[in-house]
Amino acid sequence: MKTNNRNWILACAIATLVAACATVPPGPPPDVVRLQNDLDRLHTDPRIANNAGPELANADAAVDVLARNSRSLDARSYQQGVYIADKLVGIAEATALARYAEQRGTQLGVERDQLLAQERVETRTTTVVTDAPPARIITEAPPRIAVRTDSGELVPRARAELMAMQDQMPGVESRLDARGLVIRLGDFMFEPGRAELTPTAEQSLDTVARVLRSDNDAGIAIEAYGQDGLALRRANAVRDYLDARGVEPGRVSARTVSYSTRGIAENDRRVDIVIRSDLR
Amino acid sequence: MKRCRLFLIAMLAVSGVATAVDRDTAQLEFTQAVTAVQTAERDDAARYAPADLDEAHAMLDSAQTAVDGRNWTDVAIYAERAKVTGDLASSRSRQHRAEAATAEIERTVDSLRHQLGGGTP
Repeated sequence: MKTNNRNWILACAIATLVAACATVPPGPPPDVVRLQNDLDRLHTDPRIANNAGPELANADAAVDVLARNSRSLDARSYQQGVYIADKLVGIAEATALARYAEQRGTQLGVERDQLLAQERVETRTTTVVTDAPPARIITEAPPRIAVRTDSGELVPRARAELMAMQDQMPGVESRLDARGLVIRLGDFMFEPGRAELTPTAEQSLDTVARVLRSDNDAGIAIEAYGQDGLALRRANAVRDYLDARGVEPGRVSARTVSYSTRGIAENDRRVDIVIRSDLR
Repeated sequence: MKRCRLFLIAMLAVSGVATAVDRDTAQLEFTQAVTAVQTAERDDAARYAPADLDEAHAMLDSAQTAVDGRNWTDVAIYAERAKVTGDLASSRSRQHRAEAATAEIERTVDSLRHQLGGGTP
């Protein structure tokens, strides 16, 4: 009888132990697992791992602390910990990718300068050896109403001049439209919320100024999009930069363009430099 | 310094911020949150990271409501969230601006390569 009771008690104890074990889920909670997986992804991405910095260490530490304490925290503290760790992981990723893009931009900038130097040498060499006209051939044909380009296209002379000018600005974002040759400086060409030009914008404007100095007839209109003071300050910053690079200020007008004009999106903060041979 | 501050945030969060927060601590958190959100705005997050900036504003609004109700624990919780979300908006804004500028330079380089005979150097 005693043996039966002892076996019964033992069986109950084992059953209780098994049940207790079964109610505690193994491993960390799903939120923590997700955060750990996100961190693993960041650590295995070479763009992020190689540019990690303290932000990734912060995220590692936050997730680690959360994982070790997740079972002992009350619900509100746990949710707060998950929220903050989640944002720290995002900060680590965005900051590392920004550093990666900045480094790549620097490398590409060096390559661009080398290519520009090479381009200048090749153009000069071609001119000396062959005594040929510039790369873009525009047939001088009186009366000077229309000319034929090297591709055989017959275009108005003014437009052909702008096309030739465009060819001298490799890499500068430009296009020909009804206004003339339009060089676009996107919002990212300026420091955020300010009128200061970025190094990228300055390099583009150096090229534009070089071309404009070689053609004193072309008039220039700077059009900054937006209705506040920032747009005008940006337009003036571009005009002043061109002035400092030898473009005669009397050739340049600066103005702002409201968003209601030409269906421009309200968050479009670009600045257009419009070059027209008949603007003066 | 920033690393220490962010890590402190995480430690505070996981060590039970809800237990006891005095008025001074809560107001300090709130001030830091306002600064972080303003920094994100200056970094043009409205253009490059609008969802994060909206979330930071929402958290700041909740913190302000808690300030009005003198619920200092809630102030600390929502201010911490606003602060870290504002930092995230700034980081994402920086990322997008850097990527846009790099893409522009890349287009220039591709154009020059093409003009000089094609191919990568």
